[in-house]
Amino acid sequence: MLNIIWVIMIFAGVITGILTGRMSEISDAVLESCINSVNLVITMLGSMCLWSGLMKAAQKAGLVNSLAKLLKGIFRFLFPGIPKDHPANGAIAMSISADLLGLGNAATPLGIMAMKELSKVNNDSTVASNAMVMFGVVNAACIQLIPSTVLIIRQQAGSSNPSSVIPCIWVASFISLVSGITAAKFLEKFNLPKG
Amino acid sequence: MILMNFISDFSIPGVILIIVLAAYLKGVPVFDVFIEGAREGAETAFNILPTMVGIIAAVSILNASGLIDILTSLVSKPLELIGIPSETAPILLIRPFSGSASLGIFSEQLKTYGADTYIGRVLSTIMGSSETVLYTLAVYFGATNVKDTRHAVAASLISSYMGMLASIYICKIL
Repeated sequence: MLNIIWVIMIFAGVITGILTGRMSEISDAVLESCINSVNLVITMLGSMCLWSGLMKAAQKAGLVNSLAKLLKGIFRFLFPGIPKDHPANGAIAMSISADLLGLGNAATPLGIMAMKELSKVNNDSTVASNAMVMFGVVNAACIQLIPSTVLIIRQQAGSSNPSSVIPCIWVASFISLVSGITAAKFLEKFNLPKG
Repeated sequence: MILMNFISDFSIPGVILIIVLAAYLKGVPVFDVFIEGAREGAETAFNILPTMVGIIAAVSILNASGLIDILTSLVSKPLELIGIPSETAPILLIRPFSGSASLGIFSEQLKTYGADTYIGRVLSTIMGSSETVLYTLAVYFGATNVKDTRHAVAASLISSYMGMLASIYICKIL
């Protein structure tokens, strides 16, 4: 996917540059971008260490599992098709908790595991079940309690109070989540699995 | 407002305290576990570097060529009509499709407009509350046999754009 996007971006950029006569600006910008990306990663490095370390501690302390238990009630509504004691329940809870805590790269493997469990409930069909679509939507819309990447970039840009946007982000995420759940519940009635 | 400031000031130290305390009370060797996780975090950050260089280089070509400006000016007039600031157009266009590209645009724009201005806060809220839905869905469904994802993309895009549009109004109120 990124292979095509990358080629299109560079092709469109250079062609436009020829047409607008901005080739020297492009040359400067490319060389400068390498320095910028290293600066960005260096700034993120420390915070990545801090949060990955803390999340490891949270997992070992059982906080992730406690969150999983808290979420059980909501699952009855979101994923009515899953049998009560199926391992898919635990896998989804782990994945959503990881999203909430902003575990980032730890959240992705957990999400994949949960989707595989949901696929088993769906007899490994080639057509997604309602629960699988709902899980995908909820996961992509999930509220992150501490949006660390955004906070780091705000700090880097000279914000006097980087975390002042956290309440706005929570409200916007919640609206996104509710719209996603509503859209999935609504569209599943019109988009029935064939066969 | 006081409550909101309280929440945003206390959320990070609060979460850190709860995690460390809970782990300690459970008898977890907190610092050792922290170092173990932090090392993984460092690896992740370094693994991101090549992707960042590639994407930021391509985004900088697009920016310097003036193409993003041309596209943005095409959609900004219709967007302004329904009350959406034109400065948010690039992020609105690219956010659901590329996480690293939108991150690049976001950090560039934050420097241009300032992090604490209305536009800066809207951009931060959009970035913090939305996800690269196409990437996420591709990765998750890619791990299964599913060929037909049904309404997954449509519902995710609705969810994403509702959140992004809401950000523009929420930042006026909060």
